[in-house]
Amino acid sequence: MVKQDRLRNFCIIAHIDHGKSTLADRLIEATHAVAQREMADQILDNMELERERGITIKARAVRLDYTAADGQAYVLNLIDTPGHVDFNYEVSRSLAACEGALLVVDAAQGIEAQTLANTYLALEHDLEVLPILNKIDLPSADPERAAQEVEHVIGLPALGAPRVSAKLGQGIDAVLEAVVSGIPAPAGDPGAPLRALIFDSQYDSYRGVIVYIRLMEGRLRPGQAIRMMETGAVFEVVETGVLRPLGMEPCADGLAAGEVGYFTASIKTVRETQVGDTVTDDARPAARPLPGYRRVQPMVFSGVYPADGAKYPDLRDALDKLKLNDASLTFEPETSVALGYGFRCGFLGLLHMEIIQERLEREYNLDLITTAPSVIYKIHKTDGETALIDNPLNYPNPTELDYPEEPFVKANVLTPSAYVGSIMDLCQERRGTFRDMKYLDADRVEMHYDLPLGEIIYDFFDALKSRTRGYASLDYEFSEYRKSDLVKLDVLLNGDPVDALSFIVHTDKAYPRARRIAEKLKDNIPRQMFEVPVQVAVGGKIIARETVKALRKDVLAKCYGGDITRKKKLLEKQKEGKKRMRSLGSVEVPQEAFMAVLKLDEN
Amino acid sequence: MGQAVGLYLHIPFCQKKCDYCDFYSVPGGDERAKQTYTKALAAHLTETAPALTRHTVDTVYFGGGTPPVLGLGPLHTLMDIIRRRFPLAAGAEITLEANPGVVDDKLLKKLRREGFNRLSLGVQSLEDDTLALLGRVHNARQAQSAFEGARAAGFDNIGVDLLYGLPGQTVEEWRATLREIVAWGPEHISCYGLKLEEGTPLWRDRADYAFPDDDAQADQYLAAVSILEENGYLHYEISNFARPGRVSRHNLKYWTLAPYIGLGPSACSDFGGRRWSYVRDLEAYVGGMLGDGDVLHEMEELPPEARAAEYLMLRLRTADGVSGNEYVRLYKGNFEPVERVLEARAAHGFARSEGNRWRLTPKGFLVSNRIIADVLEARTEGP
Repeated sequence: MVKQDRLRNFCIIAHIDHGKSTLADRLIEATHAVAQREMADQILDNMELERERGITIKARAVRLDYTAADGQAYVLNLIDTPGHVDFNYEVSRSLAACEGALLVVDAAQGIEAQTLANTYLALEHDLEVLPILNKIDLPSADPERAAQEVEHVIGLPALGAPRVSAKLGQGIDAVLEAVVSGIPAPAGDPGAPLRALIFDSQYDSYRGVIVYIRLMEGRLRPGQAIRMMETGAVFEVVETGVLRPLGMEPCADGLAAGEVGYFTASIKTVRETQVGDTVTDDARPAARPLPGYRRVQPMVFSGVYPADGAKYPDLRDALDKLKLNDASLTFEPETSVALGYGFRCGFLGLLHMEIIQERLEREYNLDLITTAPSVIYKIHKTDGETALIDNPLNYPNPTELDYPEEPFVKANVLTPSAYVGSIMDLCQERRGTFRDMKYLDADRVEMHYDLPLGEIIYDFFDALKSRTRGYASLDYEFSEYRKSDLVKLDVLLNGDPVDALSFIVHTDKAYPRARRIAEKLKDNIPRQMFEVPVQVAVGGKIIARETVKALRKDVLAKCYGGDITRKKKLLEKQKEGKKRMRSLGSVEVPQEAFMAVLKLDEN
Repeated sequence: MGQAVGLYLHIPFCQKKCDYCDFYSVPGGDERAKQTYTKALAAHLTETAPALTRHTVDTVYFGGGTPPVLGLGPLHTLMDIIRRRFPLAAGAEITLEANPGVVDDKLLKKLRREGFNRLSLGVQSLEDDTLALLGRVHNARQAQSAFEGARAAGFDNIGVDLLYGLPGQTVEEWRATLREIVAWGPEHISCYGLKLEEGTPLWRDRADYAFPDDDAQADQYLAAVSILEENGYLHYEISNFARPGRVSRHNLKYWTLAPYIGLGPSACSDFGGRRWSYVRDLEAYVGGMLGDGDVLHEMEELPPEARAAEYLMLRLRTADGVSGNEYVRLYKGNFEPVERVLEARAAHGFARSEGNRWRLTPKGFLVSNRIIADVLEARTEGP
């Protein structure tokens, strides 16, 4: 058991690419080099192995032993945080487990949207935030300017902040000293009833769920009966321990208030260990759970179908496996007339959706067709009922619809001032309302917009990047549902509606969207044996139309002795090509057509 | 008499290789090479003859290349072996492929006298500019005089090969060409859509030319079908038209799964339940035949299953089309899934039926690759 005043719990926050992971690597190396010099090689080897196996322990939390300049031995718990807006809640729970945060700022780029967002989040949790100026090795680095920006924009003293090159390993000691001297030691009564915050969990096929916790009060020991305060589930602790770069290190004495570690309790699924839930003693429960728990709600929904219908069971197995480790992924069976059997999947955001899709395709070797992502609409019907709809298929007829509401987000864009105009254009095109903007300095601007989430989930981020040469950064959070004027667009191929291509759009956008979709489909559907009309309709009324011309010529003019074997091979190839097509009624549609309608902004 | 077999001899020599051609041939070729080749082919013929003693040979086809380039003497040597050692049927069709520009009146007479009774003339186009850019060695006037010379020499069965889809060619120009050819009065006309074969000079320079697009080519094809049918030619295969009784009996074997044996480099055979071909290389072929090397390029065994697929794939190229009765009788196959695909195509005018015999319409021939693929897929997926 560690004395509380020798404990420091901290995380690292940064905009993406500002060097968070590299700094974490250096801190681990530096502390191991001091405390366990003789084991250094082995440690690195093992970490490599961990990486190969994809279990990066330090991605969760890691306990470092550090002897500071004052000659005292300290225990530093570094808790990692995911770095994307999709995972804001997870970030907030990691922050809640800490007393302080290192704010890594790229000395060449200065503050970015996520820097601000994460800083505000950290300050909300009363964390001591210590700026670190990284990448001082870059020729374009200007640490003074970055420091001034931090002082000016965030109001944190930064002129004395450690100047670091995580890449070259420079300034790492200064960071460790800052952690010891600048971040408060945890408080919390070890004698009080147990309250431990779950900030992450991971499924292990041998031990069940490994739960990552920060003890706020009380103690946790093997054999203890515990209760999850949110779910009410009760378990008996099997093992407690701390997290080392090498892996888990059991400690039979258990953990006490202020410490960060893990426990196992033969838990079958991560659903029973919700991030943000409070673990308490079953026999002597705490009066109240820790504040801040929120049930994680998917924001973006999409139909996921196997390209080959026979792979449906494989897709289900793959989703089941991913779900073991990802409590925020939801899915339920869905049937589409066009695509057959698949799943309606819920994701935290677009990045989460892309990660899941990529893992399904790469790790589980599945070819997928995914439908356009949708947000959750709140539908008020004429009969007084309200419904939450995450699938355009369930959108009611205009006659049953009183009015719909759609989710809005508060978006925060940081940009060089040169791009303010084009960002305003973009946000206006996406139905955003301007709230305010603030010059951070002469040429950097922070802009605040209210935007419909439904407009962001298509290609907003790509459009933002391309219109600002990649310089603008974006952060957003859900704010509220607002009454809106929406319609459902239906796509008809050869006169038959294709349910999987339906989507919901603002009335003002209906015509241009419909035209773009029709054009995109025309370009992506190969000529068929007959002319294929591509129509887009609103409530039965056609508002856009294109035609895929009939195939006129696909013939082998000469077929004599020598050509017959060749022709047979050709037919085989044709068959392979057909496999990548999906038959929608009588029309063969390639997978790309489904994706193409998602990217309407390209020209 | 036994089963009738076709005999094909590949003569891989040309005066000059055309810019669109990817058949196996060697341009020029000195006299020595031709003599050695004749020896090799003669040896192959002699070696093959015993396999056909219980059959008859009712068609012989000298193709290439440009067979007359081999020379009269060698052609005589080969014909002599065929006459002496093969069970040549009375009235056998003996075709020689030729190009205008390599045959004059005198040569044509001698070739006729040698026993060739059908001439296939590569006219291709009647536009001199087009002929030049295709790398042909003749002009339109020479083509017509070769045709007339062949008639004068006594060829009463002449086929003319034409190309459409040529650079800059309009439907009107193509119609005019067809009308003029019809006026010559050939017994047989083949119309091939120009296909850009990868690696040919025309393919390399393709960016320099304006080729008619697929829609224009389809219009040209349909124009040919209607002009030739109006003028009494039967449209008996996708690209082939003939006066009644004057179809190419040899070529028909390819599409009706009749047996044939092909000799020479790149030549193919379908005989005794196998399909095979010889190396696509003159030196390797000659070396193999005259020494004891291997001349086989590839061979496949054809179980009834594969035959049934070939039946559908090849018969659908012909005016006779496929017959459900025949299919069931020959291959014990289930014709129903095939028929379902064809019925669906018939609804759009791509196919039509009499009883359970199905054939593609001209519009259907134009997209026959797709239809055949669908038919074959339905067949393997069917109950």
